[in-house]
Amino acid sequence: MKRNVAIISVGYNGRFVSKRPDINIPELIQPAVANAISKTKLKPEQIDAYVVGNMHTFEGVNQPHLWASDHFGGAGKPVMRIATGGTTGASVFQAAYYHVASGLYDVVMAIGWEKHDEGDAQVGLMGILLPEAFSMFNFGPDMSGERGIAGLGGGGSTGGAAFQAMSYLTKANAGIEHIDRIAALMRSNAAKNPYAHLQQPGCTEADIAKTPIISYPLRYGHTCPTSCGAIALILASEEKAKKFGITDRVAWVKGLGSGSSDAATGNIIEGQITDPAEQYMCKVVAKKVYAMAGIKDPKKEIQVAEVYSGFSHQDLMWPERLGLVDEGKSPEMLDKGAFAIDGELPLNPSGGVTSTNAIGASAMVRVGEAALQVMGLAEGGHQVPRKVENAVAHGWGGLFQFVTVTVLGRTPVKK
Amino acid sequence: MLAMYFLILYITVQCTGKEGFMAGETVKAMVPITFMYKNRVGQALQVYLNGLKEKKIMGARCPTCKKVYVPPKTVCARCRKPIDKWVEVGQEGILKNFTVSYVNIVNGEILDVQEPYVIGLIKLKGASSLLSGIVKIPSVDKVKTGMKVKAVWKETTQGEYSDLVYFEPA
Amino acid sequence: MNERVAIVGYKQTKHTFDSPVARERMIYELVKALFAELGITRDDIDTFILASNDFTDGRTISEVFTVPRIGAYMKDETKVESDGLSAALYAYMRILSGLYETALVVGFSMAGSEFRAPLIQSYTLDPVYERPRGIINYYSIAALQANAYMRKYKFTEEDLAQLTVKNLENANNNPYAARKEENPSIDKVLGSKPLYLPIRQAHVSAYADGACAVILSSKKMAKKFTNKPVWIDGVGHFMDTYYIGDRDLLAMEHLSAAAKKAYKMAGIKNPKKEIDLAEIHTNFSSEEPVFAEAMGLFKPGSGKDVVKNGESRIDGALPINPSGGPLGANPINATGLIRLAEASAQLRNEAGKNQVKGAKTAVVHAQDGPGAQLNTVFVVRR
Repeated sequence: MKRNVAIISVGYNGRFVSKRPDINIPELIQPAVANAISKTKLKPEQIDAYVVGNMHTFEGVNQPHLWASDHFGGAGKPVMRIATGGTTGASVFQAAYYHVASGLYDVVMAIGWEKHDEGDAQVGLMGILLPEAFSMFNFGPDMSGERGIAGLGGGGSTGGAAFQAMSYLTKANAGIEHIDRIAALMRSNAAKNPYAHLQQPGCTEADIAKTPIISYPLRYGHTCPTSCGAIALILASEEKAKKFGITDRVAWVKGLGSGSSDAATGNIIEGQITDPAEQYMCKVVAKKVYAMAGIKDPKKEIQVAEVYSGFSHQDLMWPERLGLVDEGKSPEMLDKGAFAIDGELPLNPSGGVTSTNAIGASAMVRVGEAALQVMGLAEGGHQVPRKVENAVAHGWGGLFQFVTVTVLGRTPVKK
Repeated sequence: MLAMYFLILYITVQCTGKEGFMAGETVKAMVPITFMYKNRVGQALQVYLNGLKEKKIMGARCPTCKKVYVPPKTVCARCRKPIDKWVEVGQEGILKNFTVSYVNIVNGEILDVQEPYVIGLIKLKGASSLLSGIVKIPSVDKVKTGMKVKAVWKETTQGEYSDLVYFEPA
Repeated sequence: MNERVAIVGYKQTKHTFDSPVARERMIYELVKALFAELGITRDDIDTFILASNDFTDGRTISEVFTVPRIGAYMKDETKVESDGLSAALYAYMRILSGLYETALVVGFSMAGSEFRAPLIQSYTLDPVYERPRGIINYYSIAALQANAYMRKYKFTEEDLAQLTVKNLENANNNPYAARKEENPSIDKVLGSKPLYLPIRQAHVSAYADGACAVILSSKKMAKKFTNKPVWIDGVGHFMDTYYIGDRDLLAMEHLSAAAKKAYKMAGIKNPKKEIDLAEIHTNFSSEEPVFAEAMGLFKPGSGKDVVKNGESRIDGALPINPSGGPLGANPINATGLIRLAEASAQLRNEAGKNQVKGAKTAVVHAQDGPGAQLNTVFVVRR
């Protein structure tokens, strides 16, 4: 018999912003924790355990939860740190789920954050491939039988993303205008989310198309910002959800999973190269998670999706890889308004990652926002009007290789 | 206000060759890369640094349990409540613990020092936390727990940690 | 849900100060060898958990290249950016939940050859108070703790040296230890370079290149791997507050609480009598009496007697670190898992020269953070 686990509260430290020179990292996390607790009947000491994570090379503090012990409440409690690159926030949430599902703890808080104003995000991302690049410069590209390893590293993550975008557009028979269109949708959604970073009410395709090209087909307007902010989720067992939830509306964790594919570095191994637009891993994980959640037809049974797109073309790609839209049909769905907040498959009503990206938090924000949609508690006008029976939250990271998928629902899976 | 910090990550690249002349060999290259970080001191430490400029040692007092944390912080771990009350603590206190140090660790390198020195944990009057600091004493053999010590300040303070130069026997 | 989880396989590298192979190859060869030994493939493992750290690997999202090497391609995997025993704890939770039956946990670092341990440790210190002031670091914290213990309980530098010698002798008999000291003696230890007294170079753990892999399984799948499962009967883990000035370095209350929780879960009422051996993660040998007493293994303040009577020796009443502990090899993220592997070896009578006779119940400990801010305790039984 599996234990049912629910998200009973979602808390933010405030709106995500570019800079917070007035506070340090622990002081960034503190209000998110207090905010999450305030939306429950919990006293702070009633949280049994904490799972935390961020991408700590971005601020130069190794395991900052140690420093922040008092500020998030971990001092005197069980604390575990999880970090998995871009998917960190979701991995932290999933670990919190297992803390409760294992039966060892009943009420667990998951916290994700990033304070990008304290570091250099590009350098952090380049740090993934820099050792290989230096190795190549020193010893030649063929030394280990792998070729072209810096091919996608050129231009940082944008190089690889552009390759992925071109592959996607070609297969879907779509154009740069579709990326402009969906980018605009995200920024105008963000304007209806009081916590989002880049809020551009009434943003249009033309506004995005004005921004310069970085690496075709990606424009500056298709990229994500670097944001400072923190998010905290409180997970509880069925019994404690009843006891501590303020309303009876909680978001049940019906299915979750993660997967790791190969690092898409542009390596040609035995004559083959991985197409980062294929994302086979995402299809595999999604299928597994839907089965766990008892969902037979995701196209019909999922009412809202929060997907993790570091670049706007991915907002077209992920719904297809997650089985929510037929292959190559996202541009069509976009054009007929299906992805809008009041459409038939609202996509990222929060504005998504291209509107707000505090890396350690972003994958958890997807889960938190999906939970808010299920609970009917999304503020500022970004709550979807339909009743949300099931929502899917997706995370992505690494060198186009890590994926997390979570399904949340109004009712727990029947045992 | 912000604190600057240079982080240097020495990346060692290792690769074991698969074919050709590098087959089976492992090569290493030391790649010094500098990432630059600008870490913010935050609200509570800003209060502390402002206090140092005025030759004051500031702490944070929890409104519930009345514990005084030095250096100050914005939360009481015991009560799990926020703190926004800052108080000055005494300049004198008792040496509760110490170690005699023969080295300095700089950038991860253990470097010898000319003269051994004392690092102490001091309970200042009015503070609940112990403050760590260097204790200047004519001979390191003479240092004892329970000693009364007092803060010694720089002549001209700048709102930096070095304003409080060291502690000495009171 | 699963009721019981066991360690069904384990393997560690021969730790060195300068690995002949790169990090990725090291863990690949280790996992491959473990699978071969057990006659299994990666298809027999449901979930994979890494214990590593971007800072110790010197690159962002280091798992990009290490996760595939442990066999996790197309599998559900994750990374605990903390000590290896915490990673084992997470694997334990995953199996208890019933969503997985088997897990592989791998911890590793190149602490011997690729970076200076004090440098990476210094980055866990906050960048705006302790780091710029430069007087509080892992070494000085250990020294302050040791001094508090020594002053209160009249434990002398000679006693500490004797304890260090005990560990070095055990390490000499441990085929996996990196550090081998010829004829360790109290005089040699007391003559080693003073750092922050009483911490001398000889008391510092041996930061090394190395890895450890452990396989956990639910009760129902355990037979597939081994007929000598080592059961995880109790777990506890707690984190202390960060600032040294707010901690009681002597009492180590959060380590105590973690041990008490693990004992309670395991039904242990008298740890001194019911525990046959302990593998404790000490970054400095001075931590041994403090931690052992906090874990209820010896009476508080009994360090001097324990050393004089040889109680913590392999042939003593309660052997501590029969493997030599981290003084023999400390590959940081792997160290907690190595403690688990060593304890498992003891309970399966596979510990060779360091075997504790008749060992049935062991307590395993790992720490993380400055001054053991985070502590994880397992009780394991055959």
